[in-house]
Amino acid sequence: MVGADINWPEALRAPDNAAAVSALRAALLQGLRIALRERSDVSEAQLEDFAQDALLRVLDRLDQFSGRSKFMTWAHAIALNTAFAELRRKRWRDVSLETLAAEGQELPEAITLPNDVLGATEERTRLVEALRNAVAGLSAKQRTAIAGELREMPFDQIVALLGTNRNAAYKLLHDARRALRRQLLADGVSLATIRAAFDS
Amino acid sequence: MKPLTRKQLQYFVGMLEVTREQELDCGECQNCAAEFAERQLAGLPLDEALARVEHHIQLCPECREELLALKRILSEGK
Repeated sequence: MVGADINWPEALRAPDNAAAVSALRAALLQGLRIALRERSDVSEAQLEDFAQDALLRVLDRLDQFSGRSKFMTWAHAIALNTAFAELRRKRWRDVSLETLAAEGQELPEAITLPNDVLGATEERTRLVEALRNAVAGLSAKQRTAIAGELREMPFDQIVALLGTNRNAAYKLLHDARRALRRQLLADGVSLATIRAAFDS
Repeated sequence: MKPLTRKQLQYFVGMLEVTREQELDCGECQNCAAEFAERQLAGLPLDEALARVEHHIQLCPECREELLALKRILSEGK
């Protein structure tokens, strides 16, 4: 049994930490039950597994706790990241890098004026052309990552398929977005104009 | 690849519209998530670093999903 005013990092580092570890695991499990209770695809056994994995990650990262939040909030954040990452991986595990890379290659050609946008005016065609050219100027890896985003693929899965880490993949996409903005600006095309063309 | 739908194009342009020169990556966002959630639920002001979390979750559905779940735990676990 641990008290409400427990100093978690201290209790978890102590040689006799069994009660603290057990209480932390129970708290993480309870948090996951709350967060995922509307997911019909998650069983109690999976919640137990997530809680156990999260517990190990929290214990492994104790030195990273900065004290800028409550310890338990920090631990729940880690548990949620653990659980959601696993759930997203399962959903998308059938998609291969080759498939996604091929879609990335074809991305410029996939940018056309949608059928449900009325009137293929000269101006709309010019805007689509500008966006397509800007995308064609990206690297193959950047286009692959964007193709994944447009398929609403979880970011963790894009990361796994690219064989990189989450921060590097985010930077890859951020660089791509910045490059597209710059290219469109250089071509005299504003994003607001493109949006208006697709909204109409 | 099939031609992009209007929804996909709107999403794509929307991502470009909110792009900034400096952005948090997912790791930096996760590092701030606990503090961000606590302060937001308490109605406390966000400093510059935490305000960038708000921007990141506009662009990152995964971090947004995790942050919403965290706020739910904090709200219901009281």
